[in-house]
Amino acid sequence: MLKKIEDWNYYELLSVERTASPDEIWEGYQAAMATYQDGSLALYGLVSEAERELVLGRVQEAFQTLRDQDLRREYDLTLLRHAPYFPPKAAFRKSVGRLEIEEAPPRPTLRARIKRLFVRNP
Amino acid sequence: MDKRVWAIGGGKGGTGKSFVAASLGLHLASLDRDVVMVDADLGAPNLHTLLGLKAGHPDLGDFLTGRVPSLEAAAVATPYRGLRLVRGSENILFIANLPHFRKLRLLRQIRQLATQNVILDLGTGSSFNTLDFFLSGNPGVVVATPEPTAIENTYLFLKSCIMRVLKLYMDHYKIRDLHQKMLDQIEKNSQSLYGFFRSLMETDRAYGTILYRALRGFRPCLVMNKTRDERDVLLGRSVADVARKYLLIDMKYLGAIPYDEDVQSSLRGLRPYYPEHKDAAAARAIRQMSEELAYSIEFTLRTPPEIRLPDT
Repeated sequence: MLKKIEDWNYYELLSVERTASPDEIWEGYQAAMATYQDGSLALYGLVSEAERELVLGRVQEAFQTLRDQDLRREYDLTLLRHAPYFPPKAAFRKSVGRLEIEEAPPRPTLRARIKRLFVRNP
Repeated sequence: MDKRVWAIGGGKGGTGKSFVAASLGLHLASLDRDVVMVDADLGAPNLHTLLGLKAGHPDLGDFLTGRVPSLEAAAVATPYRGLRLVRGSENILFIANLPHFRKLRLLRQIRQLATQNVILDLGTGSSFNTLDFFLSGNPGVVVATPEPTAIENTYLFLKSCIMRVLKLYMDHYKIRDLHQKMLDQIEKNSQSLYGFFRSLMETDRAYGTILYRALRGFRPCLVMNKTRDERDVLLGRSVADVARKYLLIDMKYLGAIPYDEDVQSSLRGLRPYYPEHKDAAAARAIRQMSEELAYSIEFTLRTPPEIRLPDT
């Protein structure tokens, strides 16, 4: 995915999956700290000092958030909010003019429909 | 089964490219596989020495000058069953500056070799010849050591590969005006590749998508050689991660090969290291590496990026 450093989410920063366990997050954090620590060889000749400090700060922020269950849940929700909107592919119920996933009222029975023809306010 | 061309390259000399290539070839041959090794280090060939053989004819130069009809005929048998070798040329001055049409012929003949496994031992540096041989490999394996100079040159090598891939696609799709723009932008800083693609996507999304796909098709592997401790092993993982994030390429870290004094002593004795030290940690790492690639589904299923070299 074509992304700028500022746009990497916490999971991408730590190179872990969204479903990562606390142990995997800890492991990812250790690896990221080793990558972005002061004097790291892995960045030699490619990344500037200012950029390194910026990413290191975000790595710490990422770990602080993802280690805490509540904060992580909250963060996951914000990620979902930023996710692109895919229209629901639910069946459209023509009789009530609504999608199945919406709380469509039950389809009126034949008896109710006939009754509605004669009674104005049932 | 598809043919696998293992291109072993890297940015810096002395990282152990030929050692990795020789050990890999000997390992595959020991599994009763048919292997042809090509010493494509055009400037300083010495793969034969690492296999315990003497320089001689026919060699790569004989094929390129037409003294031998095909690359197949230049591949000589070695004392190891199933392993054949195309020696590097002694006529270094001629071969190091390989003309374009000869390079195309060599690349074509490599694809036509009657074997399942071809191992290309490449030279140091970022000349077009070396890069094209590296890009023709599937997988292309970059060998680095845990030293600042090697890491720096590894990134330079990867950047050169990226620019070469993009240039080839630009030439193919006749979008030559982008080339200078790319050169200007990519030299700037670590985020430059991202910036180049971002601006390209804004101005011309179709070309941007083509080039970005081409870039994602370039999937090199990394091997960290001569590691001495756990920190060096982790460094390889970090380098692959940084390459993924800053150079936008899907780089796979194959693992680390621990430093072993016996490699030097084998070399001094003009004997190959692998068969005599099969239980050593370095030999185990080579085995693990080749198995990782051989059974990796992503590498088995994917088709290698078809890079068409321009005829001019």
